[in-house]
Amino acid sequence: MSSEVVKSGVDQLQSSRRSRMALVKKRFNDLVLNFYGWGGYLFLYLPIIILVIFSFNDSRSTAQWAGFTTRWYGEMINDSQIILSLWNSLFVAIVSTILSTIIGTLAAMAMERYSFRGQLMMDAILYLPIIIPDIAMAIMLLIFFDITGIGFEPWHVNFFRISLAVPYSVIIGHVAFNISFVAIVVRARLAQMDNTLEEAASDLYANSWQTFWRVTIPMMMPGILGGALLAFTLSLDDFVITFFTSGAGFNTLPVRVFGMIKKGVTPKINAVSTLMLLFSLVLMGISLIFRKGGDDENIMDLSL
Amino acid sequence: MHKVFAKYPSMRPWLLLLPASLWLFIFFIAPLFIVLIYSFQTRGTYGGVVWQFSIENFQRTFDPLYFNTFLRSFYIAAITTFACLLLGFPLAYYITTRPPQSRGTFVLALMIPFWTNFLIRTYAWLTLLRTNTGLINTTLISLGILKHPLPLFGNDFAIVLGLVYGWLPDMVLPVYAALDRLDNSLLEAAQDLYASGWRVFWRVIWPLSLPGVIAGSMLVFIPSLGAFVTPAILGGGKSLMIGNIISNQFLAAHDWPFGSAMSTVMMVVMLLATLIYFRSTSRKERVQA
Amino acid sequence: MSEGHAVELRDVVKRFGNVSAVNHVSLQIRNGEFFSLLGPSGCGKTTSLRLIAGFEIPTSGQILISDEVQGHLPAYQRPVNTVFQNYALFPHMSVFQNIAFGLEMQKTPKSEIELRVNEVLDLVHLQGMGKRRPKQLSGGQQQRVALARALVNRPNVLLLDEPLGALDLKLRKAMQIELKALQEQVGITFIYVTHDQEEALTMSDRIAVMSQGHLLQIGNPEEIYEQPTSRFVADFIGETNFIEGTVEGQNEHVEFGIAPNSIMLATWGSDPVPAKSKVTLSIRPEKIDLYTPGKPLPRGSRKIANMPGKVVDLVYLGTDTRYVVQVPGPNKLVVRMQNATSSEHFFKVGDEVTLRWNPAHARVMKE
Repeated sequence: MSSEVVKSGVDQLQSSRRSRMALVKKRFNDLVLNFYGWGGYLFLYLPIIILVIFSFNDSRSTAQWAGFTTRWYGEMINDSQIILSLWNSLFVAIVSTILSTIIGTLAAMAMERYSFRGQLMMDAILYLPIIIPDIAMAIMLLIFFDITGIGFEPWHVNFFRISLAVPYSVIIGHVAFNISFVAIVVRARLAQMDNTLEEAASDLYANSWQTFWRVTIPMMMPGILGGALLAFTLSLDDFVITFFTSGAGFNTLPVRVFGMIKKGVTPKINAVSTLMLLFSLVLMGISLIFRKGGDDENIMDLSL
Repeated sequence: MHKVFAKYPSMRPWLLLLPASLWLFIFFIAPLFIVLIYSFQTRGTYGGVVWQFSIENFQRTFDPLYFNTFLRSFYIAAITTFACLLLGFPLAYYITTRPPQSRGTFVLALMIPFWTNFLIRTYAWLTLLRTNTGLINTTLISLGILKHPLPLFGNDFAIVLGLVYGWLPDMVLPVYAALDRLDNSLLEAAQDLYASGWRVFWRVIWPLSLPGVIAGSMLVFIPSLGAFVTPAILGGGKSLMIGNIISNQFLAAHDWPFGSAMSTVMMVVMLLATLIYFRSTSRKERVQA
Repeated sequence: MSEGHAVELRDVVKRFGNVSAVNHVSLQIRNGEFFSLLGPSGCGKTTSLRLIAGFEIPTSGQILISDEVQGHLPAYQRPVNTVFQNYALFPHMSVFQNIAFGLEMQKTPKSEIELRVNEVLDLVHLQGMGKRRPKQLSGGQQQRVALARALVNRPNVLLLDEPLGALDLKLRKAMQIELKALQEQVGITFIYVTHDQEEALTMSDRIAVMSQGHLLQIGNPEEIYEQPTSRFVADFIGETNFIEGTVEGQNEHVEFGIAPNSIMLATWGSDPVPAKSKVTLSIRPEKIDLYTPGKPLPRGSRKIANMPGKVVDLVYLGTDTRYVVQVPGPNKLVVRMQNATSSEHFFKVGDEVTLRWNPAHARVMKE
């Protein structure tokens, strides 16, 4: 009897030790996991944070801290080349976004709403610009503009007494890859849209045109805006394609930065970079506000 | 215009596709073909084009000088992919262990760096890795830990690091998506059947996350193969990948036909890789990933 | 000569590729009636509704609405409105805007829109909800908005596509009563699609039973239930027993050969069935009574068809008891007897019983 008591007591001791060990093991595993997790995020953010910090460095070095200053930002603002390239970036981005959003949305409607022969081929053609590496597309366009004589020098247009330089070669290239991205985003939205709404509109005496403008477009809006935002971001950030399709002397901001890096590394580049980072964050913020305001979509969509 | 739209319903999709088709055919498909044609021409004496069919360019790509670079690019892309997997998988797993409501935030935090300019991010590493003026070396030397700077720049290490940094989120997301879809009861079932720890991982978690892993690998490998900016900035002018050699042909060497040929070869390789991917996975797996 | 039907289908066929969703269907729906299309999934009832609404064009045949041929017209040119299964409320518009939409499309003046929308909001008991958005409403409320949105246009015919499917049972039952009352109040013809036979029986003036694109039977609920003309209808509506046998005698009644000898089991009216032909009988469980063998029948009983059997299963259901009785041959018949006199089971499992029914209650099925 007592041996049974002792045995059960030993068992209890052993099992409690085992459970303690298991607990320790679990805590250790958790620690490792947490370490890995936070390490990963640190890896992703640290370089950017350091970059921003050194934009305030009071010396020409980007590696040794010499005190806080904002003079690089001052230099940046006074650098007419940089301001010009910023303007160029925005101009190209806005124009190419408008064009690619319209074209891409129409294409998305065709692909998602209808089935027709040649759809598979069209699908492949729409996916190609996404798969193809930047450099390949860049040289493709370079050769094309050269051999067709289309050229790279921006058109000069007089717009209400303002002389605009329209870098059509760059815009063409940007639209070419952005159509596909817009189409993907809009298609995703169309796929999850409720079809019966358009039937309901028709049931309520709206003809095709009225249905399109009063129901279809508003329903597609989150997708259209998402696609536009994506196109805008990609256009602003693009370097390789812009680099090869720009005329001599035409710079967008990333192209300018590349040139600056080749000439010599100073915190001024950090300052410009910080500016661009801020811009990206603002764009991200806008897209997030849209998603919260609109339907609750999967956060995965952000991957686009 | 919308009279036509209304009257010919079977034409509707084509009308909608008209702008996109025109734009892409003129400014994408046509250039693609031109590049293909250029590949078979040769360079003229003063940098123009000699219009005579020749496969000389393709033969040149097998020249050790260039072929080595192809192999090197492949090698770098492969290492990058592997590194992304090694770093990315635990990161994805980590996110799945977070409470469900906060997971979205963690994914968002992952994407924020990804949405910033690639050039800027690469530049950041430039300032960190440079031999004499990079942050890492100067800090370690000034702390007395090192006497001589580490060779962190202008070599394959720097390029791989830059590529991994740039494309890591592209690996984490699909893997996370696959892991997230993993039904917890599967893990419990495995444990109920006496599997523990590593066993559960290898026999249950890994196979089921494979579609995500493969998708992520594709998303990292392909862009890495065609990398241009990263080796240009972090390679210090020495370590070059295909992208750089191709660009050289257009900027410096003025041998456009040769550049076209190499670009064609690069695209064919990528096409093959993509096809293998599509063949080896079912559509369902791909959509999920 | 026009007979003034609300909706008429004349030999309508709708094919999708090789599949005939609607197969030579003809029917006439009267003004002001509550008409149901009933059948299992895929029977063609929804497609028929969509043909009337204008979301599909018939492959052949004619569709008349208010005696005008309208089968070729698009939905927005037909004086009918639809209540969708998933409500299809415009999420980017308020309740008021949703309901006003149809009126807007018809270029109704603003003041009149205001009036009519509020009027119909009262009708469906949603006063004051005009400013809300659909996603702020419960399922039942959304359903009523969908109803209001259709009714405000004063259509000749209202089409309802399984509108109560997404509601929980209690709410569904309440809405059935409300809908029926609404229809009587407003006086519009309602065409109602459902797969729930109880729902159809509860609400409808007449029911059309469909299966695999074919119209099997039209009638009021009592006709459909008591006089099913086909095996499918008898089986789909309520519960029934099928007995197969051979016609032995004439004389107004069927004598069935069920081994070892024939028993008179059914009578029929004007449709004699030739001798020696094989038929199937349908008899509802509640029409059969069980008796202790040997006991005399109640006086005036018309239950003269009889058969011996043995109880093999029973379920006590409160108001009645459901017996499963094994009879000669491979059949097991289901019998329901009301527990009218006492709560004790009349019979137990294993009891030998005699089954008796009025032959007029056994229907001959045409396949």
